[in-house]
Amino acid sequence: MMLSSFFYLAKQGLGNLIKNRLMTFASIGVLTVCLIITGVAGLFTANVNSLMEYLRGQNELVLYPQEELDELGLAQLDAKLREISGIKEIEYISKEEAMERMKQSMGDKAYLLDVLEGDQNPLRVNYRIVLEDVGALSQIVPQLQAIEGVDNVLAPVELSDVFVNVHKAVVCISVGLVVVLGFVSVVVISNTIRLTVFARRKEINIMKYVGATNGFIRMPFFVEGIAVGLIAGVISAGIVLGGYQLLLMNTSVFPAFWSDMVTSILLPMDQIWWMVLCGFLLFGSLLGSVGTATSVRKHLKV
Amino acid sequence: MIVFDRVTKVYPGGNTALKNVSLHIQKGEFVFILGHSGAGKSTFLKLILREEKATSGHVLVDGKDLSRMKERQVPYLRRNMGVVFQDFRLIPSMTAYENVAFAMRVTNIPEKQIRERVPYVFELVGLKEKMHKYPDEMSGGEQQRVALARALVHSPELIIADEPTGNIDPELSLEMMELLNAINSVGITVVVVTHEHELARHFGKRVITIENGTVVDDSSRIMGQDNSFASFQEYDQQEVEV
Repeated sequence: MMLSSFFYLAKQGLGNLIKNRLMTFASIGVLTVCLIITGVAGLFTANVNSLMEYLRGQNELVLYPQEELDELGLAQLDAKLREISGIKEIEYISKEEAMERMKQSMGDKAYLLDVLEGDQNPLRVNYRIVLEDVGALSQIVPQLQAIEGVDNVLAPVELSDVFVNVHKAVVCISVGLVVVLGFVSVVVISNTIRLTVFARRKEINIMKYVGATNGFIRMPFFVEGIAVGLIAGVISAGIVLGGYQLLLMNTSVFPAFWSDMVTSILLPMDQIWWMVLCGFLLFGSLLGSVGTATSVRKHLKV
Repeated sequence: MIVFDRVTKVYPGGNTALKNVSLHIQKGEFVFILGHSGAGKSTFLKLILREEKATSGHVLVDGKDLSRMKERQVPYLRRNMGVVFQDFRLIPSMTAYENVAFAMRVTNIPEKQIRERVPYVFELVGLKEKMHKYPDEMSGGEQQRVALARALVHSPELIIADEPTGNIDPELSLEMMELLNAINSVGITVVVVTHEHELARHFGKRVITIENGTVVDDSSRIMGQDNSFASFQEYDQQEVEV
């Protein structure tokens, strides 16, 4: 195909967008809604992933040695702990250290703890253990408990299991949503384009009789479909990202404790905007062109 | 130019449109295809345009066997023939000029060539002054001449006119036939499909009459100008170029 005919056809396709305003509007509207829902599902998944990362970072557990253990016993315990695989970090916290940390967390109420200094210190020696993978928590905890000299292990086993399952469910639902909505979009787009094709079947018929190739006839419709997809992509990316920005700016509506976590979990704008935009443009133009291809084919059989 | 070799066309559903039709239209001939509606004229046209394929037998246009032609070659076949439809089939949102230029554009012809060629064919059909009007602003006869201009614009070797007198006044149809005659005089094969006996007989050209899907009369044979039949046998012995 020559360049001049390509431009001619592209012009025809874009001209049709304006000529069939109502149809264009309907197609863009439907595709935009589909893209928004898909995008929200995608962003939700991305954020749940981010939450999982956050949890992986929070996969600490606390191990209390038996109180009567002397220094030698602690050294033996320490050595055994380091033999267990899947542990990223082991930190020994002495009674004094534990008190210090507690005071820090109390902030300006720390003076209340002053009476508990020295011999009065009720806190226990403990180990802060960080795992490599939160998913391995439920296997590592029993191993730790089996070590001689271990009194107690505090670990968010149930919490982590819940999150792992939630994560799986969210991914499944999101993928399902994307597939179903993608299909719906193709059907709707091909129906709308089928109407424009139907309106112009006479023209297509004439083109066939004067010897236009199928590729040539299809071209303006393709341009039309892709343009609809791109426009819908830009609009829906704008809406989704705008909504997300609002969410980011209003994390303070969450209770104080959550707000910190939410802020550190929610993916920042500069990390996602280009992904959302590129994804929407690609997905939009793909749906637009697939929708076109399926609806023009029928009328080419002359 | 056109060869039908024992062509039968049965549509899905069992309707037999053509039965064992054999005929030969030579290059440069002027032929009427005469028949009532439902006789098989449209099927005849559709087979030549390769809109339909023969159920059995062979249709050859310009030496090419259409039943063996690949789908993607069909556009190139159609560029060598111009069709004037009964209902003209002009695009109402385009001027006469654009309608004709459109036929060239869709076949990848450069704009420069289009600007030279289109006014020329409008001059041929005597419509140069009106070529920037829309079809709605023209009479039926003028619209038909626009359709003829469009058919001529590719310099085809074959012009097919489907019921050229169907939608216009009698005086205008005479004018149209004279135009077709003039086109024929420069060596272009002209096939006129019609149901009007008078029109077909009036010009003293070859008339092929189709009834119920078979050729019942071929005037060139009756009048002793049996060239078509002879050349058909001649063709039969040739290697067919596909």
